[in-house]
Formats: sequence, C-alpha cells, structure tokens
Amino acid sequence: MPVLECKGLTKRFGRTTALDEVSLTIEPGRIVGLLGPNGSGKTTLIKLANGLLTPDGGYIAVCGSAPGRESHALVSYLPERTAIPTWMTARQLLDFYGDFYRDFRRDAAEEMLDHLGIQPAQAVKQMSKGTREKVQLIMVMSRAAKLYLLDEPIGGVDPATRDYILSTIIGNYNPEAAVVISTHLISDVEKVLDEVIFINQGQIMLQSTVDDIREEKGMSVDALFREVFKC
Amino acid sequence: MLRKLLKHEFRATGRVMLPMYLILLVTAVGSNLAGRGMLDGRSDVLNILGVIIVMAFGIAICGVLVMSFVLMIQRFYKNLLQDEGYLMFTLPVSVHQHIWSKLIVSVVWFAATVLAIIAASLVVAYQGGFLREFLDFLGWFFEGLQKLKISETLNGTVYLMEFAVLMFVSLAAFALQFYAALAAGHSRANHKMVWSVAWFFGFQFALQFLGSLLFITLDRLHIPFPLELDWNPSPAVAIHVGLLLAIGVVILYGAIFYAVTTFFLKKHLNLE
Repeated sequence: MPVLECKGLTKRFGRTTALDEVSLTIEPGRIVGLLGPNGSGKTTLIKLANGLLTPDGGYIAVCGSAPGRESHALVSYLPERTAIPTWMTARQLLDFYGDFYRDFRRDAAEEMLDHLGIQPAQAVKQMSKGTREKVQLIMVMSRAAKLYLLDEPIGGVDPATRDYILSTIIGNYNPEAAVVISTHLISDVEKVLDEVIFINQGQIMLQSTVDDIREEKGMSVDALFREVFKC
Repeated sequence: MLRKLLKHEFRATGRVMLPMYLILLVTAVGSNLAGRGMLDGRSDVLNILGVIIVMAFGIAICGVLVMSFVLMIQRFYKNLLQDEGYLMFTLPVSVHQHIWSKLIVSVVWFAATVLAIIAASLVVAYQGGFLREFLDFLGWFFEGLQKLKISETLNGTVYLMEFAVLMFVSLAAFALQFYAALAAGHSRANHKMVWSVAWFFGFQFALQFLGSLLFITLDRLHIPFPLELDWNPSPAVAIHVGLLLAIGVVILYGAIFYAVTTFFLKKHLNLE
C-alpha cells in the first residue's frame, strides 16, 4: 500500500491555483525529493498531506486514510519554520513528544541531544536559531513513523548544519517508511535521494528514480532541474 | 489525549499564573504589615512605603485578573494559530479536544484567580484574633442557616450553585466568542488579526440584532408569559427558573461559537 497517494488533488487560494490536478504515489522504503522552485506548490502539498489545509478537489490519502487524527499518528512532520514551543526546556519537549506519539524513541532523541551538547534543562528560547532547527529535526526523526514529511529541512542553514541534518535523516529514519524532502537546494540532497518529483506552478512535471535520470538522461538531478526550470 | 493536552496546557499557563499568585500573596502580606503600624503617620518614610505596598496589592489584583483574561486569548492564538499550530494540529488529537483543553484551562485559571483574590484579601484583613472572629462568623452563619426552614436553606444553597454554574458557563461562552472570532479571522490569507477583530464585532452585532428581534417578535405574537398562565410559581421557584433559563441561553450562545470555532479550524485552517 502506498504511504502517500494523491489523485486529481487541487488547492486554490482565491484566484491562484496552488495545486492543479496533482496525482502521485509514494511507496514505502524510499527517500523522495520533492523538488521545485519557490512558490511551486511543495509546501501546499505537504500541508494537505498533514491536514493543515483542506483540498478544493481530488483526493489525498496517507497510509490509506484521509489526513486527520489517525494519519497524524503515522506521519512525522518537519515544518519549514520553528514550531516547537520556545518556552519549553529540552526535557519538557521530550515529555511532550513522548506523551503524544507512541512511536517516539526517547532514548534516541536523548542521545542526539547529548551529542549536540544540549542540557535537558536548557530552554528552547536560549538556543540559537540553528540549534532550534536541529532540536526540532531530532524530535521529528526520533519517531518510528511510516512517513516523514520534511519541508525545507536544509533551507537557511550553513553547509556544516546541512550535513548534520542530512546525516541525522539518513541515520534515523525508519527503513520501512518513506521520507519526503521538499527543497530547492538539489545538489545538497541529491546524494541521499532514491526518487525525485519535480513540481512547478502546482503541476507535477516529472516523477522518476534518480538512477533512471542518470541512465536515461545522462545527467545529475541538479543538472536536469536546472534544465527543466531554466528561466 | 485530552488529559495529556490539559497537562501540557497547565504546564504552559502555570509558569505565568503561579508567579502572579505568588506576587499577590507577597503584596497581601506586605499590605497586612503596612496596616499594622506603617500607615499610622509616625514616620513619613514608613507612610510612603506603606502606601506603595498597598498600591502594589491593588495592582497585583488587577494584574492577575487581566493576566487570566489575556492568557485565555493568547494561548489559543499563539498555540493554535501561530507557528506552534504546525505542531499542535499535527498531533493525533481532534480539534474538539484542542478547544476543550483551552476552554477548561482558561475557566480553571479564572476560578483559581477568584479564589486567590479572596484568600489574599483574607490575608490583608488578618489581625490578632482575626481567625477566631472569622470562625465565630462562620459559626453564627451556620447557626442562622439551621434556624431557617429546610426549604429556605436548600433554596439558598441551590441559588449559589446555580449562580456559580452561570458564572462558569458565561466565562466559557465569552472565551468561545473570542476563539470563534480568532479562528474565523485567521482563515483569511492576509490581515488576519484585523479580520478577527471585525468578526468579533460582527458576532456582537449579530447577537444583539437577533436578540432584539426575538424580543420584538415575542412581544408582537402576544405569547402568554408564565404569570399569565395558570402556573403561578412562588418567588423562590421563579428565581430558580430565571437562573436555569439564563444558564440555558448562555449554553446555547456558547454552543453557537463552539460550532463556528470548530468549523473554521477543521475546514478553513490557514496557518501562515
């Protein structure tokens, strides 16, 4: 069963069509890059999969059910902004995730926080912006979810932090799950991807495996992206 | 899951309210001490200090009242409609549980604030022999109650309970009107707070308009009121009926805003 399935998915904001009849399927055990320029519909698609938006047309299902309370227990979502309450300490954050998610691996999260040198009593608001993002990622990746939806996980951070984030994703995701990474920084994520979805102006331009792109087109994903989205 | 939401909601709000209660207690103790000699005019410095402490107590009372009100709105806004909403609305909990958790915690803090102010006032009034006088007063009060007829005692107790219920449901309904306005305003793409204020006043206008219309219609239809029917209740029963009717109307008012809040959070959530 696909972990994420859309058929004719449409979302409009006033007169603007953010997603236009999008149909796609994502199978478990894959790391998928959702690639597109700014404003292409990546975040809208991820928000719809999380039930943060309601579609105007079509159908979206996570592990066979419509986004909602049941699917939230199966999806681990990293929003593009810091959503963890900044008044909480690292320990309170661990309690919070542990209370609400049965699949939360507290020991794994504690180990990663310890590796970053974060004390359990340290409040999130006392951390730098980069550290907050890392802490949020640690919480998300410490879940044994069926689907990880990571919205711009490497946007706005320095190259060393990008490496840390990508290694945290690769080192911690549930192998039976699918990971969707939304980004426009292709060269940084290309090495970890099994599959890519190109999205532009709310429409899917391409869905293919990375190996097929290299074999059939004879170019990297980054080069193909630059060619497809040439201004 | 509601229990877990309540746990974290009390944790989030307690870090604000508990220090406020502590300030209230400290200024109450200070005011008590000020009343025991600082304000008798023997020393200007002590006099000024005493006045400042008593003023601080007054400000602390206003502070806890304002804070319990601000917190009611701020938690809903910041925790559900701002950045934290991305985390909260992707938890495996329902929208209903989110609203109830905010509502229950707000009403509990309001009740705790009322109790804290009463306790602080008792602290200010406390003097040597105060406790004995207070216990004497309670003894006198309960003796008086025993002298009354059972029906009168029962009526008084039930009035108090009905009044307390009316206060709680009114608070909850008032909170829900704010939640509904915020949820509706934040479903817009831009100027979310301006839209929220507009929705709040829109709701207020609609309620007053519909209420007035209802009264005028009832008046024109000449529907007989209970006193014109064969039923002639005693004043005691009429007060019960009035209070229960008021509770019913407030519950209906709250239910409308609950439905509006749920509708917008479920169908038109539009986080920035």
